Amino acid sequence: MTERFGEATGTSVVGGTERHASRSVLGLLVPVAAVGAVLSLVPLWLGDSRVNMTVAILGLAFVSYTIGFNLIFGSTGQLFLCVGALAGIGGYGAAIFADTAGLPILASILLATVASSLMGGLLSWIAVRRSLGVIFTGIVTLIFALAFHNLLLGLGDLTGGESGFLIEAGRDSFIRERVPAYYLMLGLSVVFLLVHGLLRRSRVGWAFRALRDDEVAAELAGVNVSRYRVYAALIGAAMLGMTGALYGLSQGRVSPTTYGFAEVDVVAVVMLAFGGIGSLFGPILGAITFTAINELLDPVGHLRLVPYGALVIALFLWIPRGVIPTVGDWLRRRRGSSFLR
Amino acid sequence: MTAIILDGIVLGLQFGLLAAGFTLVYGLGGVLNLAYGQMAVISAMVILFSMNAGVSAIPAVGIGLVAGGLLGLIFDQTILRPIYRRHGEARVLLSLLLTLGVAFIVDGFLNWRYPTAGLTVGIDGGPIEILGVPMRRGSIVGSVIILVVFALLLVFFRGTSLGRAVRSVIEDEEGARLVGIDPSLMLRIILILSGVLAAVVAVTQSMVRPVTVTVGFSITVLALIVTVVGGLGSVTGAFLAGLILGVISSFATARIGTFLSLIILLVAAAITILIRPSGLLGVKE
Repeated sequence: MTERFGEATGTSVVGGTERHASRSVLGLLVPVAAVGAVLSLVPLWLGDSRVNMTVAILGLAFVSYTIGFNLIFGSTGQLFLCVGALAGIGGYGAAIFADTAGLPILASILLATVASSLMGGLLSWIAVRRSLGVIFTGIVTLIFALAFHNLLLGLGDLTGGESGFLIEAGRDSFIRERVPAYYLMLGLSVVFLLVHGLLRRSRVGWAFRALRDDEVAAELAGVNVSRYRVYAALIGAAMLGMTGALYGLSQGRVSPTTYGFAEVDVVAVVMLAFGGIGSLFGPILGAITFTAINELLDPVGHLRLVPYGALVIALFLWIPRGVIPTVGDWLRRRRGSSFLR
Repeated sequence: MTAIILDGIVLGLQFGLLAAGFTLVYGLGGVLNLAYGQMAVISAMVILFSMNAGVSAIPAVGIGLVAGGLLGLIFDQTILRPIYRRHGEARVLLSLLLTLGVAFIVDGFLNWRYPTAGLTVGIDGGPIEILGVPMRRGSIVGSVIILVVFALLLVFFRGTSLGRAVRSVIEDEEGARLVGIDPSLMLRIILILSGVLAAVVAVTQSMVRPVTVTVGFSITVLALIVTVVGGLGSVTGAFLAGLILGVISSFATARIGTFLSLIILLVAAAITILIRPSGLLGVKE
């Protein structure tokens, strides 16, 4: 099984859209600030409804999950099918550190984030050392995700098993209020977006692009492919863990389905693929679109999976690279502009 | 001790059968069919509805097998067409995403329309004693069916020219094309075979526990794990991997506890993949 994403194997599914990288920081700050400003208006619109705000908070959690997943998969081609499990290490970790071990809440979040980051780094290290291809990385991380899920169910004394863990920490603080929690999650998403954007504009970003476009060529050009893969996994998993921790605290309860494979991983993959794997703003577009679609289809219950599935099929048949790269290319061809890169 | 091993073998045969139809499609076409479990569920529903309509059990199972084969053919003719146009990992990724979409559609529809439907093929009669251990009759009948299926598969792949042609495509698609074998025809045959095998999965599983509309995803995941442990495209590997994982799982359940047994099973699978990425009997690439 070849590991390259060169022309020969077809890059159409995995990223590879940038012709050249802009290093202008202003070109990053302006669109990120615009996205943040637009999203910060949402509570003005939904603020009265607790139910709708909860959906909006989940949507932002998915924005952050998808950014972290994009950093790992989109930037360095490692298919981590344990997004939910890494977020769960963050969520359960923070809950257990804060409630069971009695640590301060900030320290718990931080520790849980570090734990998640190290786990992601370890998985990446294993995949790199055994030179597993995309699919085998996917399978090994999927196995990890399943094992984590079973561990949550099995260690019921610690995790609350199937029914979940009610978090005491932060019970009367702002984090349980819907609007402040929304802004907290929004701040997190914006920071992650900036981190990813700055990374792409740095030496690391050059290395990411090089190894994703052609691993062998990158290695020959002196890029330490293994090291950058592990870096990407460490940073991306830290994002997932921190998001999981803050989301769990804002809900006051974590359960195996909060971080389940079907509930998080499948959704994040679809969101990222819709927005555009490897594109900076793809996660935002994908997460918001699919959160909205999910809500619109909610009244039909289980049947909503049918249009959802049909949409997934249509999406990958017609715009396999995702909306943002496709639209960006189309605009570039028409105007020769550098819009949305 | 004997009981644990026998239980493990019964479980392992089920595992092996799960993987057989999955591994062939992956090995031959480079297609990860994430709707494989749903194919089994659809066949189970066809059998269930036939039985509810008054057809007796054995003809109903026959109808289910035909339905499975048809499903495979439909897959080959529709959703897999655009997938075949790609190669290498792009093909695997696209197949994974498109068949996931199909799995959503099937799961969503069945869960909405028939939320409580479940197929149970009851095998009457008391336990059968093997080596002094009483075994459930359903498990034994299921195991015998699986062994017969594997024997038939072996005869097909080793003894018939069609089977050998299929194997030649798994080993070297270009070479097969050069000696006049049409790979896309072989793929169609394998997809039909895979659909029939998914239907057999539905039947043998239903002898042990009800096959409900929600089991599709777990069937697929288990099939995927056994497939990579056994080696892509190798039916014998799937059989062997199934048996090994089944016995490990049975030992872990008996000695350590149910919840850890699944984790031990997963760890065993992960270790095999890490030590031998091509699987137990996989073709080295």
